[in-house]
Amino acid sequence: MIKFTLNGKTIETDAPATVRLLDFIREEQLLIGTKEGCGEGECGACSVFVNNLLQNSCLIPIGSIEGADVVTIEGIMESEQFKNLDESYSHAGGVQCGYCIPGMVMASAALLSQNPHPSEAEIREGISGNLCRCTGYNMIVDAINLAAKKGDGLWQKK
Amino acid sequence: MNLKDISTSVPRKDHKGKVSGQLPYISDVKVENMVYGVLFRSPIAYGKIKSIQLPDLPEGYEAVGAEHIPGPNYVKIIKEDQPIFANEWVNYIGEPILMLVGENLDVLYRLLDEVKIEFEEHQAIYTLEEAIKQKSAPGVNMANYEFGESLDTITSIELKAHQIIEEEYDTGYQEHVYLEPQGMLAIYKEDEIVVQGSMQCLYYIKNALVNALDCGDDDVRVVQSPTGGGFGGKEEFPSMMACHVAVAAKAVKKSVMLVFDRSEDMVVTTKRHPAKLKYRTAIDREGNILSMCIEIFLDGGANVGLSSVVLQRALLNSAGVYKIPHFHAKGYVLKTNTVPNGAFRGFGAPQSFAGIESHIGHLSKLANNDPLEYKRKYLVKQGDPTITKGNFRDPILMEDMIEVLLKSSNYKKKKQKYHQLNQQNQRYKKGIGTSLFLHGCGFTGSGERDHIKAKVKLAKSKDDQVSLKISNSDMGQGILTTLSKIVAKELDLPLENVLYPYPDTKEVPDSGPTVASRTTMIVGKLLERAAKKLKAQWQTGVEQEVTEDYVHREMIPWNEKTFTGDAYPAYSWGVNIVEVEVDTLTGNIKLEKVFANYEVGKVIDDRVMKGQIDGGLAQGLAYGYLEKMTSKEGKIQQKSITDYGPPTSLDVVSIQSKVFDNPYADGPYGAKGAGELTLIGGAPAVQAAIEDALQIPFQQIPITPEVIIESLYVREGEQG
Amino acid sequence: MAEKIIAYRFDCLDQTLSQLNKENCAIIAGGTDVMVMYKSRRGVPPKIPKPIVFIDHLSELKKVYQNQKDLHIGACCTYSELLGNPLIPIVLKKAIKTIAAPAIRNRGTLGGNVCNASPAGDTLPLLYVYNAKLLLRSVKGDRIVPISDFIQGVRRIQRESNEILVEIILPSVLDDGAHVIFEKVGNRNADAIAKVGFAGYIRLNGDGIEDVRFAFGAVGPTMIRSVAIEKMLLGRTVPLTDSDIAQVVAAFDKIIKPIDDQRSTALYRKTVALNLLRYFLSMKQYQPT
Repeated sequence: MIKFTLNGKTIETDAPATVRLLDFIREEQLLIGTKEGCGEGECGACSVFVNNLLQNSCLIPIGSIEGADVVTIEGIMESEQFKNLDESYSHAGGVQCGYCIPGMVMASAALLSQNPHPSEAEIREGISGNLCRCTGYNMIVDAINLAAKKGDGLWQKK
Repeated sequence: MNLKDISTSVPRKDHKGKVSGQLPYISDVKVENMVYGVLFRSPIAYGKIKSIQLPDLPEGYEAVGAEHIPGPNYVKIIKEDQPIFANEWVNYIGEPILMLVGENLDVLYRLLDEVKIEFEEHQAIYTLEEAIKQKSAPGVNMANYEFGESLDTITSIELKAHQIIEEEYDTGYQEHVYLEPQGMLAIYKEDEIVVQGSMQCLYYIKNALVNALDCGDDDVRVVQSPTGGGFGGKEEFPSMMACHVAVAAKAVKKSVMLVFDRSEDMVVTTKRHPAKLKYRTAIDREGNILSMCIEIFLDGGANVGLSSVVLQRALLNSAGVYKIPHFHAKGYVLKTNTVPNGAFRGFGAPQSFAGIESHIGHLSKLANNDPLEYKRKYLVKQGDPTITKGNFRDPILMEDMIEVLLKSSNYKKKKQKYHQLNQQNQRYKKGIGTSLFLHGCGFTGSGERDHIKAKVKLAKSKDDQVSLKISNSDMGQGILTTLSKIVAKELDLPLENVLYPYPDTKEVPDSGPTVASRTTMIVGKLLERAAKKLKAQWQTGVEQEVTEDYVHREMIPWNEKTFTGDAYPAYSWGVNIVEVEVDTLTGNIKLEKVFANYEVGKVIDDRVMKGQIDGGLAQGLAYGYLEKMTSKEGKIQQKSITDYGPPTSLDVVSIQSKVFDNPYADGPYGAKGAGELTLIGGAPAVQAAIEDALQIPFQQIPITPEVIIESLYVREGEQG
Repeated sequence: MAEKIIAYRFDCLDQTLSQLNKENCAIIAGGTDVMVMYKSRRGVPPKIPKPIVFIDHLSELKKVYQNQKDLHIGACCTYSELLGNPLIPIVLKKAIKTIAAPAIRNRGTLGGNVCNASPAGDTLPLLYVYNAKLLLRSVKGDRIVPISDFIQGVRRIQRESNEILVEIILPSVLDDGAHVIFEKVGNRNADAIAKVGFAGYIRLNGDGIEDVRFAFGAVGPTMIRSVAIEKMLLGRTVPLTDSDIAQVVAAFDKIIKPIDDQRSTALYRKTVALNLLRYFLSMKQYQPT
């Protein structure tokens, strides 16, 4: 039996320990915001937070997250921080096909919570594990920059 | 909607669902009674199937193959050479032979390992080089065209020329790496099969299904799911997957889902054609061009698919943006026993522009001229004939675009400065390079009139909302927004009162595929006209419907046999300037600055256009130096994203771009095509910049660090 | 349905070790390599052929401390934790920053990089020039092995099935006054697997070379290091003469034998490895890092 929290809810499961957290989220919990783009940790579409850290859910065997706090895009959707990113992405034109975007938003949130006023280089570094094939990244970088500016106070380091 | 200027950006209509991840792509969908399909693929490149031995299938698991196809066993595209399930010959590693369907993927993968097929292997052709050698062997030449000045005339010019310059140029594979892997679902119902998935061309799929299922028009229905990137990769390829799931659904009477793993997607789906381009140019004593002959060879892979059309575009762009005296070109699509190549943003043009820009750049050296100045001497002007005896009838703004870009980039000063810097810095060398390019918008020649015959419909509801009924896919490029905007502006409706539901062939007429930079220009124009019509007959509170059909603008008629006439109704244009720094110890290339000017008639939405510029350039630049895919004995070597290496956020720099207005009469608000154009200039500009930095000519893309180090090594050897 | 999976996740290292003493298990720390190595296709768990032991949560394996001039790094420290730790040498942080991307660095561990023993392991060239020693523990006790003995080939390590890598020890690394450099050559600027890795270490006494070490990654089955070649330079003064440099480069030219693969060519790897070496040797001056 593996016990952890997912978006604040306690989960107890007897799924085999090797089941990928990604599959558990999508297939068992039916949360579709976490996408699979490569299954090898090379694209970031499956990004989630584990104990507040950005991680690739495709590389996490569920047996290893006993007691952990897991948050998916669905878990932040109602937050002020998400609203800030949502508006900034819209304003900067950061979204095209959309498949990388939930992961990109998670990476953006992870970056801003660590570093509320990142430089352009730090933004590029922060999303460097999140592949996007449509935008060439610049409008996503603009979006995060905008979120940092407009979200002053929202992203204070805890 | 009351925008002073149509170009003013509006929020994307699909933003909310995408930013929250709650918009379901096909792999997010589950339906009742759904099973998965997995494909057994050929492990050999060329041979005959002798026997197929299936493992004992547990209850609920079934095998589906050629014998289950109600209609003929081919995927309808142009020729009948692509089997749905290979049942006699296999022509490439990865070719689908049969599908196993069942509830549990784990069980399916295990069963797949237990399928045993005996083959009689035959000698395969693995490389384009080999195919060129065997060009006249039966079946190798899959398509060819030739046009231009007579070879006699050219020979007589060459005899009097000062020098004949011959160059051979190679371009590699490019893989789309759309973030969403290919996926397709066939929903089984008693009276119809609904095929739903990630796609660009609903009616290509529908036609393929009607053919494969040998059924009536109403028996199949195709619905687009939100599509996570296409770039041409979801143009013709999804038709095959649609046939697989539909045949299987019919056979097992269940809904069947087929979603590719990334590595499967990288290994078996279509890619940009590797090409060899041969240039033979006569020049005079001053380095002026007297004549030019070009030969293009495309590696078609194992079946022709859309390759003949790709070759046409490659040939039509073979002279670049230049008026070349005495021009002759021919081209071939050759068969190799490798994964079939197909549509990719640019569709043959990127290979040609990389080649011609490289060649003209090298000629400029012989003329002791700056490459850009040399290119400008040959730049086509309004009223000039095209290489196919068509006409550039609309104004061409290239000179202005170049001048503005020279100023904003400070090109001349930088070029000098870098040459000085490079004398001092032994390890890092800086360079700056340019590319000039165009893109013919829409289908080649009379394709729109003769083949596509686009039709659009607007449906108004009682509450005065207007729906777009068209078969075009938003795959990220933003047409949900831009086409809705055209209609909203025309009808003076708020944007939210214009709806554009994901298209369903049951609801929408065939407005053509979402390809060839045609959607905004052709479909957008039809929608603009339909909206005008609806406005004229508008009755508040009443359901109304209007349709509009494509009207051909007669130009110089296109003749595919002689390759003469106006190949395209209109052209979009571009100029790129790229700066790089090359590390001579490692051959690594760092992009430093990118400048880009474009002319696309009229921009429908500034932000959407910028998205196309940045994304297209990122792909185009990477095609020139970063993305490398190779095939060895019929096997794609790079099976992961990392091994292939598309750019990350740390590989791209911010791009300074500007778009020039030059409204085109037959586009909505003057708009022409934009999506493919933005990719085309990237690779040639990056090559020119690398050459400027190292003062070494290159004859290929991608110019990887391996190519650079090898060239430096050779140069060192030559200098002792 | 899926076969039964046996997996252990104990609260402390001792229990983990006693289980390992009873049963040969696959050890998963961050899992970023294991999950890829045994990956199945989409939608299915990886097929790991042995019972699994998770260790990344064990606090005994997450300590970083100084013991005189030696630095002890817990094997299960993630890359991100090391990036945030002031004891970690800047050059090692630079190497860690070239690994994949933030999400992987939040999970992958230094011990994992060592035990995965990939020819392209990003931290390995530096660990080799630091003369890293590995502390292995089993129910029977501890042993310390030099990294160059521990890694024996491609993904082949000298770990007994009852042992766990507890610490990576970098001897005399603190205040040692050496100039250390690291270069990773990948196909792009993030999420890349090394095509060539190079670490150089030099310590001077005045102008004279007191100690010098080189290690090359991704150009052979394991890191290439040669104490014999390094010895040739001891006592020489910097800047080195052209002939000294040529001699060292020629010596490595003989022992570096890379391969062609989907990421690069043998010629490229070798040329670049030697280029980086030559560049390091040609520096006019060296500053302690």
